[in-house]
Amino acid sequence: MPAAARTVGRPARGLGGSDARLGWLLVAPLAIVMLALVFVPLGMTLIDSLYRVDPMRAAQPFIGLRHYVDLAADTNVRTSALNTLALVAICVVLETVGGIAAALLLQRIEKGRMWLLAALIVPWALPPVVNALVWLWIYHPSVGLLNNLLLSAGLISHKVVWFNDRATALFLVAVVHVWRMLPLTAIIVLAALQAIPTDLYEAARLDGAGPVRSFLTITLPLIAGGLGIAMTQSTVFAFNLFDEAWILAGASLDTRTVLIQVYMSAFQQLHFSYGMALSVLLMLASLAVSIFYVLGVYRETRID
Amino acid sequence: MRRLPARLPVFLGVLLLLLWSLGPIYWSLVSSLMRPADLVADPPHYLPPVWTFEHYGKLLGATSSYFGTEIQSVWPQFKRALINSIVTSGAATIVTVLLAALGGYAFARLRFPGRDLTFALITATLAIPAYTVMIPLYRIMVAAGLIDTYLGVTLIYASAFLPLALWLMRSFYAVLPASLEEAAALDGAGRLYTLFRIVMPLAAPGLIAAALLTFLSAWGQFVVPLVFSPTLGTKPLTVLIPEFVGKNYVDYGLMNAAGMLSIIPPVLLVLLLNRYLIRGLTAGATK
Amino acid sequence: MRRSKLLRAMPMAAMLLLTAAGGVLPAAAIAADAQPYAGQTITVILPPWGTLPKALLDDFTAKTGVNVDLQTLGWDDIRTKIVTSMVAGTAPADVTDVDWSWVGQFAAANWYLPLNDVVAKDVLSDLPAAPNFTVDGKLVAVPYNNDFRILIVNGAHLKAAGITSLPKTPDELLTAARAIKAKGIATYPLALPLSASEGTSTAWYLLTKAFGGDLFNKDMQPAFTDPQSGGYKALAFELQALKEGLIDPAMTGMTDVQLQQLFADGKVSIDLAGWAGNPSVYADKSKSKVADAVATGLVPNVSGKSRSYALPEGLGIPISAPHKEAARLFVAWWTQPDTQQAVYAALGDLPTLTSALQALNKEGKLVGGDTLLAQTPFLEPLFPAGAPAWYAEFSSAVSTTINQAAKGQLGLEEAIAAIAKGAREAMEP
Repeated sequence: MPAAARTVGRPARGLGGSDARLGWLLVAPLAIVMLALVFVPLGMTLIDSLYRVDPMRAAQPFIGLRHYVDLAADTNVRTSALNTLALVAICVVLETVGGIAAALLLQRIEKGRMWLLAALIVPWALPPVVNALVWLWIYHPSVGLLNNLLLSAGLISHKVVWFNDRATALFLVAVVHVWRMLPLTAIIVLAALQAIPTDLYEAARLDGAGPVRSFLTITLPLIAGGLGIAMTQSTVFAFNLFDEAWILAGASLDTRTVLIQVYMSAFQQLHFSYGMALSVLLMLASLAVSIFYVLGVYRETRID
Repeated sequence: MRRLPARLPVFLGVLLLLLWSLGPIYWSLVSSLMRPADLVADPPHYLPPVWTFEHYGKLLGATSSYFGTEIQSVWPQFKRALINSIVTSGAATIVTVLLAALGGYAFARLRFPGRDLTFALITATLAIPAYTVMIPLYRIMVAAGLIDTYLGVTLIYASAFLPLALWLMRSFYAVLPASLEEAAALDGAGRLYTLFRIVMPLAAPGLIAAALLTFLSAWGQFVVPLVFSPTLGTKPLTVLIPEFVGKNYVDYGLMNAAGMLSIIPPVLLVLLLNRYLIRGLTAGATK
Repeated sequence: MRRSKLLRAMPMAAMLLLTAAGGVLPAAAIAADAQPYAGQTITVILPPWGTLPKALLDDFTAKTGVNVDLQTLGWDDIRTKIVTSMVAGTAPADVTDVDWSWVGQFAAANWYLPLNDVVAKDVLSDLPAAPNFTVDGKLVAVPYNNDFRILIVNGAHLKAAGITSLPKTPDELLTAARAIKAKGIATYPLALPLSASEGTSTAWYLLTKAFGGDLFNKDMQPAFTDPQSGGYKALAFELQALKEGLIDPAMTGMTDVQLQQLFADGKVSIDLAGWAGNPSVYADKSKSKVADAVATGLVPNVSGKSRSYALPEGLGIPISAPHKEAARLFVAWWTQPDTQQAVYAALGDLPTLTSALQALNKEGKLVGGDTLLAQTPFLEPLFPAGAPAWYAEFSSAVSTTINQAAKGQLGLEEAIAAIAKGAREAMEP
């Protein structure tokens, strides 16, 4: 573990006095943007969620945590929460493993690396609506690629209606999301990989370490910070999964995510603050899971 | 001869990656070149039996048919939306990366009161779903007169993608050896000079990664521009393309053609930035 | 923007139609000489099929002096846009599309201006879809784009199965479907959406009527729980047909739009919940393989007397719209037979004025026109007092439940109970 990894927060010597002013000067522009466009609106939503804001009813009484209590008892909310948790688990695992693998692969390629990176990123560049529609065709029960490929490979004996089974449906929705989001993890990991000095691997090789050992002892700890970021964003995006499930299966209870439930409550059924309360819970849940990784990363980077 | 077996897994990996990444893209491309009737053939055609550019013609040509009626070409709209996508994603990227590069440095290297709390709070906003803040944000934007303006959308994107870019930049600065900056300080270089001339070039892979993340995240946005960019003045491709879904008819060919055209700018950007990403790598390796 | 000659020719034809018809405009709404709102620009949000050609917009501007800034949004997305801006306290535009199913909510929220004075009494009787937009006597929006359910079949399939006349009752429908399946003409002859989407709910509503029932009784209590009720029989019919293999099990994942693609490809024989606008798509050789075989008829009914309902879209004016008066002119302009005929010529949007439909049919311009006009007298609003405010919640419970039942997760009894529960929960304040 090089010393560099532990310099987080250590001020450079000698210039301590001007730190505070320069620090705030550098942070001020972004702090203002975040305050005005994120924290203020978030505060407004938090307050709204304690009132009954329902455009169809004139009065907006203060109801405290009533919405939150009602949400806990709402069967649709529970179903969608389970769906979201399952999707998060599948997506984070697949994106992390796949992203690291793709980044390592890119790292090893010298010729044509530029093109491979471009190919890797293409899924992310496809507008989400087109993305989901392409997969809709792939999963199509009769003319879809998936059925036809599996059929000609002899893996299935008849065409399957994939979305009639809950577990399969969730997995297939997750695959579409992973397909789109994996490049993000790969780029973050790739960038982190490049900060690792190559002489570390040389030293490890001289010590007789195989590729697996040097991956576990050098690569993984050194990309842990980037990996923490990548996993956090995977988690957050998976918690906020909407388009894929909506286009592939509509409001089906088998794949309905919490964000779809938020949309249906607030924008379709016009129970505005009820939907907002649910979105606050969603935010807290994804925050809680993310903090779990982040703490893990910090613990990881502190061990020498 | 030892090289061949060693190369084989890499080769297989590349093949797998290409299949996974480009398979669906290939399918989308083929769909965009097929006649609507051939799209639903069973078993499917892996190559168009009859190549047709009619969908691209609808997008790029002078005339096109829309829900069975001849109307003016979609091209003026498409072009407008393409420009809007490029402008808003590009502007958001510049603003975000600039703010993140400055702020990330402060959070990584400078000690000031409230630093850790501010950083934690900003990063935590990553978890906020767009719907949670959309309506209050709309009120603010209306009050500020920023609805349907490039500035408004750019600022919203920046606020949405800053947390990730900031976090990324801070982690990059953090692993850079502090000795270089200390040496520069001993030479009498100012803090900002050191940041721009010495630290940022070293953090190039991080800057590029942050720029790519921001640009592509902005490129794929849907709900935010739907509400904040209602007219063709600022409406991006992601909002225009779903309009090809009719009430009675989905023009899959047209949507796929639009999708294929819309991935060109980001891919060009990747190819362009990648040179710098590689340069950043070699620069880092020699130090 | 450059336009080709062909493009220029098309709206010109629409213009000719306007002037040739020489319709006298309702003086109260649009006076040619007095243009009190001249110079104002109204914003209008419509779905893509409301993209009026420039010539038509110019016609409106010439008559009123009001300019139109037309914005199009995907149909699903218009509601998101309206809700966001209205909750935030601003108007999304001066005129917006209002689907019949949003009416109850928008009326309860008092978001839209009553437009009763925009439509004259005699015009109102020419607008059979108007009750869909009327809540407590207030006309929330004026229907501009018509849509109702008819029966659409692949005539060639029926003929090949030895069936010579269109099914008139649900039983005949089943018989026809069984015959087609038995002959192997289509694997799954009946097309009926079973996904968790709005089309699944509306199809069940239609079948409820076909079985002689209604969704709710006069006291707004669920009227579909009794095994003898129309709604119960309708769901039983759907599940039975699914079990017999008359409906594709893959319908659980299909929205009505995808199902229409199947019909156009000749994969299914009977479009049970056909939209009035579909025949023109099915008859279009560039989009359909069954252009010559498509036949239309009235929605079957147990009593032999057809019952159907309309799913129109209206034009509404948000209460906080900055240019209300100019916006009224726009709505009034679109509610004229000439405008509606010109719009049909340009965009294929089915007129809401019966007189406009008749005129088009007389000129032979209406695809499936005879059926459409024959069905019109049998149209009733789904909710006699306008869609209720809880419609969205109820409808979502219906489609989700039917979707679950079709996937075998719920039995018939359970599904009916779940829908009734969903209805009660939706109505709870």
